[in-house]
Amino acid sequence: MDREALLLDGGRDDGDETRDTAALAVELLGADGWRVTHLALREIEIAPCFGCFGCWVRTPGVCVIDDAGRDVARRMVQSDLLVYLTPLTFGGYSSELKKAVDRLIPNILPFFQSIDGEVHHVKRYERYPRLVAIGVAPSGPVDPEDEELFETLVHRNAINYRAPSAAACVIAASDDDAVRRDRIARVLEVDAGGGS
Amino acid sequence: MSDATKHVVLLVGSPKGLEKSRSSRLARPVVDGLERRGWTSESLHLHAEVATEEGRERLLGAVDRADLILFAAPLYVDSLPAPAIRGLELIAARQRTDGVERAPRFVSILCCGFVEPSQNDTCQRILQRFADQAGFEWVTGVSLGGGGPISKRARSALGILTEALDLEILVPDEVDRLTRKPAMPRWLYIIGGNVMWRRWAKEYDARDRLRDRPYRRPDS
Repeated sequence: MDREALLLDGGRDDGDETRDTAALAVELLGADGWRVTHLALREIEIAPCFGCFGCWVRTPGVCVIDDAGRDVARRMVQSDLLVYLTPLTFGGYSSELKKAVDRLIPNILPFFQSIDGEVHHVKRYERYPRLVAIGVAPSGPVDPEDEELFETLVHRNAINYRAPSAAACVIAASDDDAVRRDRIARVLEVDAGGGS
Repeated sequence: MSDATKHVVLLVGSPKGLEKSRSSRLARPVVDGLERRGWTSESLHLHAEVATEEGRERLLGAVDRADLILFAAPLYVDSLPAPAIRGLELIAARQRTDGVERAPRFVSILCCGFVEPSQNDTCQRILQRFADQAGFEWVTGVSLGGGGPISKRARSALGILTEALDLEILVPDEVDRLTRKPAMPRWLYIIGGNVMWRRWAKEYDARDRLRDRPYRRPDS
């Protein structure tokens, strides 16, 4: 069976911030044998989560909002690899990426358990995808503080969304193609191919 | 307080709005306390404001008038709810584009659904980066965990915070000390929470379906 990758592209406005990086990630994954679904979230209407917990206590496992957010949640669980792509936004995710991430909570159970000395939610499914996140610093060099914060956020998300493993990297929009290709290939754990 | 009247802008980043949200109920005593000390205030619900052009202009106008921005939101997956991030993106873009010279102070209050207030730490750092990058003066971030009504300790901390904000002095460590401790032991939170979810699901006749797996992979 093909390995499935879901790329959630949180580029804002016209998508200029992430378009090249998304294309590169799709190319690299495809060359490695992954079947990739690339969702440009700016083009998809997804209502914000309104924190009703209906997906836990009313329609367990399914968001009460009937829109594309449900499709994203389904695809997430059925993937082997989940890739977040986002313009680095105060060291975190853009609002475009976050509108989808917020709608993934049906995929965990409401019940609590202790994990490494903290309360977190129990798994709903047996398997979850590995999480990889790529942040694109829109201008200038990457600020090390932003980079460290982004990596922390991704690893925290991996705990809460029960990813078996996670990795993150930040690239600068100004990085040359070979550098970007190499960094993205490394975080995706695929071969960089002839471009590196 | 100096002679000039100060203005606080409350930005609420909870989908539940200005009236019903826990975020708003936590921040409101601070705003009320500042008003009693002669401040003026306005309150905006970010989810509503970012949804329309008119709202976005209202948001940016309010920020322009602020001496102090009080930001209150729930923790959503280690960060802010998407519309709250959208609000911050708009504010930061405007501050950068217009080269705004004023540097209002910025304070955040975050509340998470887990018992440990420390689970807000990553999001507080995101807010601090926002403040730095948007040209605001970061004052402090107050983090609260879940579990029951707003505690006496939290109320006390918010009172101390209000006084420090009014006097424009460093926020005493007491605020952090009063809010960093979980409201109850972890084991009790887990047991009590799990009972609560079952009861809640029973109201919707969904108790037996709580562990449903509607998106299970065909091969699992």
